[in-house]
Amino acid sequence: MSRPSDLIQGTLDLLILKTVALEPRHGWAIAKRIQQMSQDVLQITQGSLYPALHRLEQQGWLKAQAGVTDSGREAKFYALTAAGRKQLARELESWDRLSTAIGLVVREAE
Amino acid sequence: MSRLLDRVRLRIRSLVGGGAADASLRDEIELHLQEQIDENIAAGMTRSEARSSAVRAFGPVSLVEEQCRDTRRVAIVESVVQDLRYSFRSLTRQPLLLVAAVSSIAVAIAANTSVFTIVNELMWAPPAARSPERLVEMRMGGGSHVSYRQWWDLSESGALDGLAGYNFETSVNWRTADEVVSLMPMVVTPNFFDVIGPRFAMGRGFTADEARAESDPALVVLTHRFWRERLGADPQVLGRALTFNARPFTVIGVLSSDFRSVAGLALSPEVYLPLGPSLAPDLNTLDPAAHVQLVGRLHDGQTLADGRAAIAAAGQRAAPAYVFKNLETVGQFTFIGGMQQFGRQEVVAAFLVVLLVAVGSILAITCANVAGLLLSRLASRGREMALRVALGASKRRLAQQLLAEGFWLALLGAAGGLLLMKVTTGLLSSAPLPLPAPLDIHADLTDSRLISYAVMLVLVTTFLCAVAPVLQATRKSQMAALKRLPAGFGRRWNLRNLLVVGQVAVALVLLLTAFLFLRNLTLSRALDPGFDVSRTSVALVNFVEGRYTPASRLVWLEQAVERLRHLPGVEHASYGRGAPLTLRSGMTTGAKVPVEGTDRAFQAFYQNNFVGPGYFETMGIEILAGRGFRDDDRRGGPAVIVVNEEFVRRYFPGEDPLGVSIRLPGPTPSGYPAEIVGIARDGKYRTLAEEQQAGVYEAYSQRSNRDRMAHLFVRTADGVTIAPREIARVIGELDPSAAVDVQPMKSALAFAFLPSQLGAALLGTLGALGLLLAMVGLFAVVSYSVSRRVPEIGIRLALGATRGAVLRLVLRDAMTLAITGCIIGLVAAWFVTSPLSIFLVPGLGASDPASFVGTTILLLLVSAAAAWLPARRALAVDPVSSLRAE
Repeated sequence: MSRPSDLIQGTLDLLILKTVALEPRHGWAIAKRIQQMSQDVLQITQGSLYPALHRLEQQGWLKAQAGVTDSGREAKFYALTAAGRKQLARELESWDRLSTAIGLVVREAE
Repeated sequence: MSRLLDRVRLRIRSLVGGGAADASLRDEIELHLQEQIDENIAAGMTRSEARSSAVRAFGPVSLVEEQCRDTRRVAIVESVVQDLRYSFRSLTRQPLLLVAAVSSIAVAIAANTSVFTIVNELMWAPPAARSPERLVEMRMGGGSHVSYRQWWDLSESGALDGLAGYNFETSVNWRTADEVVSLMPMVVTPNFFDVIGPRFAMGRGFTADEARAESDPALVVLTHRFWRERLGADPQVLGRALTFNARPFTVIGVLSSDFRSVAGLALSPEVYLPLGPSLAPDLNTLDPAAHVQLVGRLHDGQTLADGRAAIAAAGQRAAPAYVFKNLETVGQFTFIGGMQQFGRQEVVAAFLVVLLVAVGSILAITCANVAGLLLSRLASRGREMALRVALGASKRRLAQQLLAEGFWLALLGAAGGLLLMKVTTGLLSSAPLPLPAPLDIHADLTDSRLISYAVMLVLVTTFLCAVAPVLQATRKSQMAALKRLPAGFGRRWNLRNLLVVGQVAVALVLLLTAFLFLRNLTLSRALDPGFDVSRTSVALVNFVEGRYTPASRLVWLEQAVERLRHLPGVEHASYGRGAPLTLRSGMTTGAKVPVEGTDRAFQAFYQNNFVGPGYFETMGIEILAGRGFRDDDRRGGPAVIVVNEEFVRRYFPGEDPLGVSIRLPGPTPSGYPAEIVGIARDGKYRTLAEEQQAGVYEAYSQRSNRDRMAHLFVRTADGVTIAPREIARVIGELDPSAAVDVQPMKSALAFAFLPSQLGAALLGTLGALGLLLAMVGLFAVVSYSVSRRVPEIGIRLALGATRGAVLRLVLRDAMTLAITGCIIGLVAAWFVTSPLSIFLVPGLGASDPASFVGTTILLLLVSAAAAWLPARRALAVDPVSSLRAE
């Protein structure tokens, strides 16, 4: 099994956590939302979403609950837990630091 | 909490119920594709286009499934493996700590598993047999034994699949090249090996056909130990003849080394002989040597209740043929092995429970020491922990890692402990104990009960070692401390101090128990047995079966006494059946005793012995009224007895019993009338700790019996000693075929002292060990606190405190811990030790004030010493340099 690099994995985690922060969503809706919000810039392979979802669930940041999709199907919805909310805050903070740092380096190099 | 439970459930489901999790994942993916297909169709694709586009966008389904499955498993397994690996590496970086912790745990676990092995052997494990779960032991009527004939009737009834009998209360004389040794054999019915079906190291057991008692079989089966230790593991032993009771027996088998006898209590009689005329000349009478205990095998599928009913019916049918009405009821019918064996030997079982609790306490104290070590290690690893927390390690993960450390220590300790246990139980097996048959303790590391117990010990040890560090590491204040706040002047009641208080408390209870048993030993040594032990010697004589009639044996005994009397320095000599306070101490009789010439009868319970003329003089037992036995008290003459004071006190209060005739159970079924001619001083008969028993001495010549065993007693003049060998020579000259064992009375009483000696030795050792371990804990805490308080001490010294004041300060804190521990321990001991009184001599209660006071003083003195050693270092603090370091 090939594992994504820590940066990619961390980023995908951040995206997922952020996406379900507003309301519980099911897998497809999460993928759709990420695509939409990034104005189709972030094209993730939809399948790779699921290992990440399951890992976040194992770590206790997401919890699964039953729900009904817009099209009326029963589905597994993922919701953010309290620990997940803290994790999201941590990841956002470190993302900010990282992007600021990269921004500084990149701009200085210009 | 519920979140934790949820996750545990999830993980368990993904590990064991992978199928369900897989199915739910498949549903999830299917739903995803459906949603995408719906959207694609809405966007104007055809159904098939929509589907293939959705699948393309999703990527390879099987790969995703695989990755999800891995995620589920890896998360749990990987983190555990990671923590195990990490904690092992981090432990090996401090080899000193690792060795100290592992070796102390190993000692504690060795103590625990040794005691458990003994409990298992004595009380629990079934005999080594083919399907032992179908073996039952039974008692008919009130007694433990039935006669050979009765066994035959029950066995032939077919009530059970098989029914065998055994008896290990007789002895045989084994003649080797140069001596005669008295052995305690297992005398068994011919079908014994057929019924039990043990494994053999060599050869085989005798079959019911070849060992029929009527053919007087001369076959013998040996235990592995006898073959190893007494025959030098002779490889040619099969077919060799061994001489028992002057008759050659052919060796046909050697039992396997893991054989465990049906006798229980780890007793392992050394040779198995078929019951026959050479051991019991008259199988069809009430010859005691022809009596056997019963062990049966249930039919396949027969329940315990069915078996009991079948035996009861068989007993009812056979009963009318016998005068002695013991077959009419079934007294006991139980499986062999398991918990029920505890019921048979209550005092032994209770003592073993005490031992288990004591070694368990040792383990607890040891774990507290290890926890202390881990706590101070944790303090010095503060920055490492802080880093891990900052990097996102959850509290749970920290706890998991600390538990992994505890687990390693416990696991390595258990491995070492089990090896040590093999050694200690081996030593125990070969320890010379004054018991009739050797004890065989099998320390089998593949025994499932032992394995379960060891696993439980590892889990408990892991928990006990790790719980304090886990609490410490996950505490909020700890998290703050990790941010490099200066180490505060620690709270007085921190975790380490609590551990030490607990250790001192447990050590006090252990020590108190040890004290009680030591006091018990000294008190029982000082108990007056009621006869002289300093100047008397006792010879146990075992005759060869059938060599003497009761009359000729009496003549022989009188001749022996006559010769012994003529030895220089001998004042008196006599003979008797039993010797008090030895294994063969005489009989216990309970009977309705009528007083001759009146209609009065009283229910009596007494110890009786048959003794010869001069017995009381030889043993130094004072005759308070009347007379002892004389040479003219012979068979045929008027029967006479001597009773002790207690007998008079109980059954003739306020009367003069001299001259009264009472009818005692005796040679004939209706008993025999005997006149009380003397009153002897009270004494001890079976055990030193017994309540005063009523006693009856009967005249040997008037009560002689079929026993092959007798005792000769010799009293020397003051200041004269006679070598036991000299006495044995004189007796041996009269009959070289008799096995003679001569001992000074003092050492013959070893059996009487055995329980109190064993108790004192075992619990004394454990108490000392507990004290030592608790003191190690106190020492460590004081030296740690001194090292942390160097700056504080420096300031105090700089401000003018005297060194004495500083020493007092440190000692005061240490003694606060010790005293608190003592108080808790005393309160606990008050409740915990009260059941111990069943082991103690009368007059010594479990709440013995001397023991309570003595223990407390000892513990406090040792505590002061343990604290003083490290406290001295506080005096060496140099105020200038310590302040500069600050």
